[in-house]
Amino acid sequence: MTREERLERAGDYVLGLIEGTERLAFEAAMQADAELAGAVERLAGQLQALDDTAEGTSQPALWQAIAARIATTPQEGVVAGPPPAANENRPASSMFRWAGLTASLVLSLGVGYLAGVSLQPPPARPTMIAVLLNEGDASPGAIIEAFGDDSVRIVPLELFEVPEGRVLEVWTLPDAETGPVSLGTLGTAEDMRLVGPDLPPPADGQLYEITLEPSPRSPTGRPTGPILVKGFAKPPV
Amino acid sequence: MDAEALLGQVATGDRAALGTLFGREGGRLVAIALRIVRRQDLAEEVVQDAFVAAWQRAAQFDAARGSARAWLTTIVRNRALNLLRDGNRIDFKDSDELVELGDREAVATAAFDQLAERDALRRCLSRLDLTKRRAILLCYVTGLNHGEVAATLGAPLGTVKAWIRRGVVSLQECLS
Repeated sequence: MTREERLERAGDYVLGLIEGTERLAFEAAMQADAELAGAVERLAGQLQALDDTAEGTSQPALWQAIAARIATTPQEGVVAGPPPAANENRPASSMFRWAGLTASLVLSLGVGYLAGVSLQPPPARPTMIAVLLNEGDASPGAIIEAFGDDSVRIVPLELFEVPEGRVLEVWTLPDAETGPVSLGTLGTAEDMRLVGPDLPPPADGQLYEITLEPSPRSPTGRPTGPILVKGFAKPPV
Repeated sequence: MDAEALLGQVATGDRAALGTLFGREGGRLVAIALRIVRRQDLAEEVVQDAFVAAWQRAAQFDAARGSARAWLTTIVRNRALNLLRDGNRIDFKDSDELVELGDREAVATAAFDQLAERDALRRCLSRLDLTKRRAILLCYVTGLNHGEVAATLGAPLGTVKAWIRRGVVSLQECLS
């Protein structure tokens, strides 16, 4: 990428003009290109002068709402270092966090839906793996392993906050014509396997995302809530 | 205590420190979100979600990459833009809750006019052609995309893309 191209792309990104899949690709490129990341950080910092002109009023009721939510929301630890080291160093609390695959959760999920929790052992090896990144800061939030039998395994890397009456819903985009397809819902961020509807085998670059939906699932059959994490599949080597 | 130190406290589980940060920044952040999502209830929802995210991820804040205010602002801006792009969530036409903010361009221009006279950003934006400046302000301040800027300015899409591309490069060169 030439210097000019970097400035153009950094500009488009900071202005919010890079959307969807391109945005994720850009954020991945930024992690590998310090100059590009630097250009983004500089421009974002400089444009903040425009944000500083916004004049707000005191919001005591809003703070009450936030305080109520954080009272029951656990915090995440620091994500640092390469993945193997991070796993070894991960505090015990987060090990416990993902350890429990509870039967009660299975019962709490909808039955008679296209997608459901699988109790069958998965095929040995995933066909595709997707690392889903947080929308806010592009930090990794979950890993999806997609198998050839329409099942996916979800490994959350953070404890998503799921308010009362909402669920986490997992989606994939097999192709633009089909549109987003639900693979199932989770009540909480837990390591689990879901079996989705009959779809073509997962493809390289296929989009996966998790949104927050009203319980028991999206009322429209399409994502309606905020996207928590998303990412693209790649085949394991 | 500065915002970075407060965020450091938040990372240790100090909810009161987040409250102090909210007291300082919350109102301004709602106003920033409001410029983009245009409805008070949605702007408050954006900021509420952003502060819960800040609570969860305070330990991931890295002062080497920017200020704590910038970190919070970025979370709010990203959430506001996501909400805006997610057409299902916002129905402006049928809503009487829509805030009377005038047209998008008035909001964008007002932000520019309020920049301090000696602000480097003001100086560099002033050097751009009027059309390039208008297009950039509409994108950044009000969250419009290329197509919406083209419609607002009554210019062809390709022309608007070229204005923005050249404009942001000139802007960064001027600011460096």
